[in-house]
Amino acid sequence: MSEPAATPSAPAPAAPADPVTALAARKLRAALGAAVLEVVETGRHPYVRVAPGAIVAAATLVRDDPELAMDCCHLVTGVDWPAKTPADGPGELEVVYHLVSYARRPAAEVLRSKVKSDNFLALKVRVPRDKPEVPSVMGVWVGADWHERETWDLLGVRFTGRPPLRRILLPEDWPGHPLRKDWEYPVEYHGIPIIPPEGR
Amino acid sequence: MSGSEPVPAVPAVPGVVAPATPPVVDASELSSLVGQSLRTEELVVNMGPQHPSTHGVLRVVIKTDGEVVTALQPHIGNLHRCAEKIGESLPYYQWLPYVDRMDYLAAINNEHGACLAIERLGGIVVPERAEYVRLILAEVQRVASHIFAMGVYGLDIGAITPFLHTFRERERGLDLLDHIAGGRLLYHVVRIGGVKRDLSPEWIDECHAFLDAVERRLPEYNALLLDNHIFQERTCGIGVITGKQAVAWGVTGPALRASGVDWDCRRDAPYGIYDRFPFEVPVAPSGLAGTVGDCFHRHWVRFKEVEQSISIVRRALRALPPGEIMAKLPKTFKPPKGEVFVRVENPRGELAYYAVSEGAEKPWRMRCRGPSFSNIAVVTEIAPGTLIADLVALMGSLDIVLGEVDR
Amino acid sequence: MSPSADDLYDPELQQSVLLTKVEWVKDWGRRNALWPMAFGLACCAMEMMATAATKYDLDRFGSGVFRASPRQSDLMIVAGTVTHKMAPRVRRLYDQMPDPKYAIAMGACVIGGGPYSRFGYHVVQGVDLVIPVDIYVPGCPPRPEALIDAIRKLQERIRVRGGKSLPPEDHLKNRERILAMSAS
Repeated sequence: MSEPAATPSAPAPAAPADPVTALAARKLRAALGAAVLEVVETGRHPYVRVAPGAIVAAATLVRDDPELAMDCCHLVTGVDWPAKTPADGPGELEVVYHLVSYARRPAAEVLRSKVKSDNFLALKVRVPRDKPEVPSVMGVWVGADWHERETWDLLGVRFTGRPPLRRILLPEDWPGHPLRKDWEYPVEYHGIPIIPPEGR
Repeated sequence: MSGSEPVPAVPAVPGVVAPATPPVVDASELSSLVGQSLRTEELVVNMGPQHPSTHGVLRVVIKTDGEVVTALQPHIGNLHRCAEKIGESLPYYQWLPYVDRMDYLAAINNEHGACLAIERLGGIVVPERAEYVRLILAEVQRVASHIFAMGVYGLDIGAITPFLHTFRERERGLDLLDHIAGGRLLYHVVRIGGVKRDLSPEWIDECHAFLDAVERRLPEYNALLLDNHIFQERTCGIGVITGKQAVAWGVTGPALRASGVDWDCRRDAPYGIYDRFPFEVPVAPSGLAGTVGDCFHRHWVRFKEVEQSISIVRRALRALPPGEIMAKLPKTFKPPKGEVFVRVENPRGELAYYAVSEGAEKPWRMRCRGPSFSNIAVVTEIAPGTLIADLVALMGSLDIVLGEVDR
Repeated sequence: MSPSADDLYDPELQQSVLLTKVEWVKDWGRRNALWPMAFGLACCAMEMMATAATKYDLDRFGSGVFRASPRQSDLMIVAGTVTHKMAPRVRRLYDQMPDPKYAIAMGACVIGGGPYSRFGYHVVQGVDLVIPVDIYVPGCPPRPEALIDAIRKLQERIRVRGGKSLPPEDHLKNRERILAMSAS
């Protein structure tokens, strides 16, 4: 009954391509051409990476296409990828959009495959860490508003073409963006001392 | 309060000048007079963070015209507890207690989602019995959370009795989880690779008794709230979220189903062993009182989900297989490089985890999507035009938990 | 020889009159009618609600009258994590309460940051850096019995030490202690 640490989810030799991502990749390639930078169709987390400038076009396409119908922007996440060595440049910030569809029922084979039971579509964008500007998708999904504000608040990704970005979780005068890997804990905030992690 | 027509015999009070008899005017002239003499002004009112109806520390800045809300802006973050930073700073095992504290009314559901994400990342197979125990605990938690939400919603709109009644059964549910986990509110019982404690036969009997008790009391809650004329007056047609708005804003869970969208992660994107227990997903029908998508329907969906959860738990308790409850895991758990996105159905909506592993003991990035975060964002579009009292009804019906709004 | 109470009053009066200090009567009233503020921050607030609700019934101890306004309450149960964004508001609410006032720090987060004290950059490492605290209740979250015990202890404290609230600057000495800790 208990097979210790079997790995059924690790990509098998002939891992099946995720149908939603494969379809989206084909359509995005046809519409955007070279702006589609990277496509991963297999594995636990398939995604399509597009150029930052093409994100709004890609978002509009996957929302309006009747076969994809990604009508909900479920989650916007920022991931910090600083450079390993200073010679590698400033490093990158990645923004991941997890999109889901409520209009379309998931296909039976998607439901059956235990590898990936959700029919989500992940779009990714990478921007340089020193100039992290990504066009906002708020015009496509209005619900992305707060998620973008949170990504700005915690990671400092500047979304453009939307109402002014304001911090959402932290106070307006908070120093820095805490989820960046090189962020340092403040010593005091408005007269309240903070003991850094090393002191605890 | 004095009427427009003069009262002839006003008793003379010394020192008080009797009001001059108003000139007799016709109605049209009067309305123009009112327009001239009254000055209206938009007021900015601050509701919260200390306000009994904001379910915690939500601050809402409301622009009002009299009693009518013309615009509002929720300010969140008063309970930002840095769960994602902590997720990056601690090994996988040690992050789970923090997951409990995000949605403190549905700790087991949160743990379930986090464990699924981490297990999928590391390719861990959970024993059969552990899957059943997880499902049973998660649904018991959902029942406890929903009846809590029902009672507190009554409190929000001015009825204290349902609060006292629902707490009686909720306490039994908490005792049940207490017996298995050792804590009343936050459990840390669902672990990576299985569950910490097994269900004993006595526990199963106790659980059946709890389900029977809740089922017996449901008509009582119904009589206190759904069938209550005052409750209907306060909720029907208030805060209508259309299906389209709900999807665009990312509203999930009971609020989404109350807007007529037939979607439940447990059925449509099944995780764990939910695919073995087919159940009816309650979606707001159009024949009820009020409008589809209003506060009444959100409450109705929650009420119906309790019935479904009870049925799921009963079937799962009967089908509970024997066996191990914990997979064999290494002491230091280092999942391979990769990322994973998992969404599960929490009592408040779709909880999602996005984890990025770099092959180390600690995750590179741990992202959690609290369903309440998106559910409360929608009020900026829904609330304008409602009364302040109805805003309380609207926010209460969304059943937000600030712990997962701010994380 | 000074006259005793027996000399001064006739027996009938002694049956119905109690000689005491005004302060004692005031404290007696204070401790048996502590009105907490309905002020919940996080998880612990759920347990605070449970304490006030059906099973635990805080009303039995004279402190179940939860007031929504700080102006009407004399006990602040800080229930749940205090963050840097919330800290000025907690202080303001405390300042708005009429004297004498008491504060109970409920839960590990409120006592010293709890599980968040190490990496939680936005969590105040103890509400006693912001307001003076009378009673600390450990637990994450404390059970309702623990909160009831804390309220009983507060009542006992008022009975023994009198109903004076702590000086409003009491929290500053904690600040000095923490600053010394971070410097070392």
